[in-house]
Amino acid sequence: MAGVLVIGELSEGGLARATLQVAGAAASLAEALGEPLVGALIGRDLARAADEFQCGLAVLYLVEGAHYEPYGADAFMDAAQAVIEASSPIVVLCAQGAPAREWVPRLAARMQAGLVMDCSALAIEDDALIVTKPVNGGGVLARFAVRGKPRFATVRASAFQPRALEGRVESKRLNVALPDETRVTVLSEESATDSGGPRLKDAKIVVSGGRGVGGPDNWHYIEEVSAVLGAAVGCSRPVADSGWVASSHQVGLSGTSVAPDLYIAVGISGAAQHLAGISAAKTVVAINNSADAEIFRRADFGVVDDYREVLPGFVERVKQLRS
Amino acid sequence: MNIVVTVKQVVDPNLPPSYISLDAAGRKIVSPFGVQPVMNGYDANALEAALKLRETHGGRVTAICLGDDGSRGTLKRALAMGADAAVLLNDAAWLDLDSAGVGHVLAAAIRKIGAFDLVLCGRQASDTDGGQVLYWIAEALGLAAVCPVSKIEAMEGDLIVHRLMEEGFQRVRVRLPALLGISSELNEPRAPSFKGTMMAGRALVPAWKASDLDLPALQAKVELRSLEIQIRTSSAKLIEGESAAAKGMALANTLHAEGLI
Repeated sequence: MAGVLVIGELSEGGLARATLQVAGAAASLAEALGEPLVGALIGRDLARAADEFQCGLAVLYLVEGAHYEPYGADAFMDAAQAVIEASSPIVVLCAQGAPAREWVPRLAARMQAGLVMDCSALAIEDDALIVTKPVNGGGVLARFAVRGKPRFATVRASAFQPRALEGRVESKRLNVALPDETRVTVLSEESATDSGGPRLKDAKIVVSGGRGVGGPDNWHYIEEVSAVLGAAVGCSRPVADSGWVASSHQVGLSGTSVAPDLYIAVGISGAAQHLAGISAAKTVVAINNSADAEIFRRADFGVVDDYREVLPGFVERVKQLRS
Repeated sequence: MNIVVTVKQVVDPNLPPSYISLDAAGRKIVSPFGVQPVMNGYDANALEAALKLRETHGGRVTAICLGDDGSRGTLKRALAMGADAAVLLNDAAWLDLDSAGVGHVLAAAIRKIGAFDLVLCGRQASDTDGGQVLYWIAEALGLAAVCPVSKIEAMEGDLIVHRLMEEGFQRVRVRLPALLGISSELNEPRAPSFKGTMMAGRALVPAWKASDLDLPALQAKVELRSLEIQIRTSSAKLIEGESAAAKGMALANTLHAEGLI
């Protein structure tokens, strides 16, 4: 058994930033254990991502093949298991998110290994992997000791910073046979119809609307503010559940975790599961007509009033300040 | 089409953190006195999906729940919504199990129930937010698993479902028998009917314990060390103004002065 393995993910042909954040967390664990940091990539075309996977790796495993696109759980599990068998890591880390939240737990079950998902802190105590994870919608922090060979954790990438470390001794290619699995077949992939704009999880500013916005007819208020600020549009779970906007906009524990410099929450009450998704936001502004809303406990700045009048005033003043 | 739905009874997820507390050992989140626990939201979506499939394709819907005697409330609710049968899995040895252990117990119960085409689970429970139990069930039963499912599009011998991705979704064909992890986009769970509630009140819910199931030795993979309730005490600096629009302008000034916009 040796090493801390980070299984990376691709984003638009390159390495996802989340992978370098997870590798930052992994490097600290590797130092604490006195073990090497090992990387792995699984995908169709890994050349660019492999170049970008620079974070003090001793070895980078590459499992490349046309059958990794579109994503299917069985192919990813077989590839990851081959890397784990080749490298015998003590700990395996991966960024939390789709599709890892599907294939990682299934692989842990197949390998009869311990896993905790969506961890916000990792530590080694007396050789045990100790993880911290928000539970009950983020209102409670749980600490777990993870057992098994290997020990798995998926990580909330926004809670960690990449580290600039030298390294990379070698790349190793593994050829993994196609799964003979035909129980699940991908027929097509549809991306969310998006109005462009920055991606939610990378955005510097996010403007989110909640149930308090009142309905889809009022959603233009949120879009007007986000347009003037160049912000990504988010929403709370009730808004996504009601279908006012696509669920890809949902911020929170069961949606996307965001880490913007500025998060503006409009008509959002502040359910724990929503707050869990903005724990890494630097400055939070809440606009809500109820002064008792839970969101004001999390917010740095608050406006208690009708957002339909607050936001037009805000937009007008932003335009003045910019001109 | 015979469907088994796994349901869990949880602390109402809409309670603010300041209302919840921990048990004496500090190992479980408990409801405040007088506040009823509820059926996990995603499990209610899974049950609704099962009832809809039964309406179209016939068959039987069985709800199973691992929990203490109090979890009968959630199984009664499942019966009131329309489940044909319910089974409580209640054994003192199971109350502190990790996801692997819970998955093994539920899988053994599903095996005992027998002939099924589909197992539906919520994508995760709102108390532990673990999101793992369904995969341990699928692995133990040797089933394909797809999660999170936002739509069941068609049933053409195989199921056609939508699997949520980071942005957008995949349309996938799933051969039965299979297990699906259901997400809230799929449906709006029905409220129990008056008649259903009356019938559920009289229904007997059998309880199975470890000696009723064919279980492997359960070995913990994950050990809970501590729970800590996060109470937020800070509160926002309120922006004042003579009108709502003036507050909006003052907010812009403040954020500009802070260098945020």
